[in-house]
Amino acid sequence: MSNGIRVAALDEIPEGEGISIDRTVTGTDDDIALLRDDDGSVWALNNTCTHAEASLAEGWVEDGYVECPLHSSKFCLKTGTVQGLPATRDAVAHRIEVREGDVYLFPHERP
Amino acid sequence: MVARVVVAGGGIAGVSTVSALRAGGFAGDLTLVDAGEFPYDRPPLSKDYLAGRTELKSIALQTPQWFDDQRVRLITEASIATLRTDLGAVELGDGTIMAADRVVLATGGRASRPPISGANRPRIHVLRTAEDAERLRAALVPGARVLIVGGGLIGAEVASTGSALGCEVVLSDPVWPPLGRAFGSEVAAWLHGMHETHGVTTVHAPVEAFEDAEDGIRVTLAGEKAPRILDAALLAVGMAPETALAESAGLRVDGGIVVDAGLVTSNPAVLAVGDAARRCDDGALARRSEHWEAAQLDGQRAAATILGVAPPADTAPWFWTDRYGVHVEVVGELGHAKQFADRGVLGEPPFSVFAMDSGRVVGAVSVDDPTAVRAARRMIDRALTIDPAQLSDAATDLRKLVRGRPTEGTI
Repeated sequence: MSNGIRVAALDEIPEGEGISIDRTVTGTDDDIALLRDDDGSVWALNNTCTHAEASLAEGWVEDGYVECPLHSSKFCLKTGTVQGLPATRDAVAHRIEVREGDVYLFPHERP
Repeated sequence: MVARVVVAGGGIAGVSTVSALRAGGFAGDLTLVDAGEFPYDRPPLSKDYLAGRTELKSIALQTPQWFDDQRVRLITEASIATLRTDLGAVELGDGTIMAADRVVLATGGRASRPPISGANRPRIHVLRTAEDAERLRAALVPGARVLIVGGGLIGAEVASTGSALGCEVVLSDPVWPPLGRAFGSEVAAWLHGMHETHGVTTVHAPVEAFEDAEDGIRVTLAGEKAPRILDAALLAVGMAPETALAESAGLRVDGGIVVDAGLVTSNPAVLAVGDAARRCDDGALARRSEHWEAAQLDGQRAAATILGVAPPADTAPWFWTDRYGVHVEVVGELGHAKQFADRGVLGEPPFSVFAMDSGRVVGAVSVDDPTAVRAARRMIDRALTIDPAQLSDAATDLRKLVRGRPTEGTI
């Protein structure tokens, strides 16, 4: 697994948005949200908001954060750190590499 | 130099205050006094917590570890009895005197009990605290005949929760549709109509009286010949700010503890936040918001005042509500707009409606379409000029309408 798991083509993730990768592909406990910031960078967090049943891949991605689509808690794209209530727990962040237009996930490695 | 802060009340406003103080670098003594077992979040009290789908611990606003880590002294099942502004202190209910350079009143409010004859009977509930929710839950058994008085956010959410639990729910509100100003009248009417499609009977009549019946309560609704027999009723007609502490300390109170833009009361050592507080800017008293995020922002503004730093930027007011499996959000103001842009088909979720004024978005409501409200909030906050035809075009990516566009004015 040293090369990571290919989870998407970079072009599949519009800037300012996210897509969800099923846990059967990633082998993780939760689905993985691939989130693309305005500057084009891609980040990976566990997809389920730590507060309620919501998909962070459907959230609003901007300026280094993703805003949950249900109650607007924000999480840092890079570290998963929660920025405000109602969520109280950080999201789990995973390392990503982009090689030749493909996105590779390194589950549970720190970004 | 402020060295000791005491916050009265552990709702979202109080917890937000202590959280923002520490995040802003406050290194002094910080105490939060709360009447409950621990500070918890209130929105689930009419939804998952009422339904018994989550336990109180799961809706704690912060973990015990967090209070330890943040060096917040949490005094629970207690309250402040007196503001000893003469001593620069507060006195707790048990007589303990605690020194405080600043006191933040986050005392919230009580559920209103309208002056209806017989409204104090044990089968007649209100919903404000976890204990209220637990008592109401015990009454919401399958087949129970339940009257909800008031079709606002709480009443509608409890109607949804109660009908899903198998209760026979009657929802009464003299106004049709309720929440017309909050959602805009068309969306309000559609949302109110969801009650009937989910088996809830809606009536548009005020309650005249409650009386004891053999196996329940007898309720008389205006205009109905025969009284209805019920097992339980919920009074969901709004809240009254908790101002007793402020009043006894001689602070200015007028439909809430009166505060300035920095949340400072008529006593410069006392601030007030959340549902208990009422803003007065340039002599004009504002309407209290009573929403979750407004209380959170109040805590952040009060912390900025105490720290002597710039407050967080103003943003359009926002709230959410959940009923019958749909998630509804509102940002800005919809009640007064003359022009609307629909996105999707009203009544067929996901859809949203944008309220426009002079080429700018002033409000939006979304049903299962939260991206629309997040886009609208940025359009409002940045005062962007927006073409309504683009909002209505399903092919438009709303994110692209705001991304990279700086502010064009002030809200």
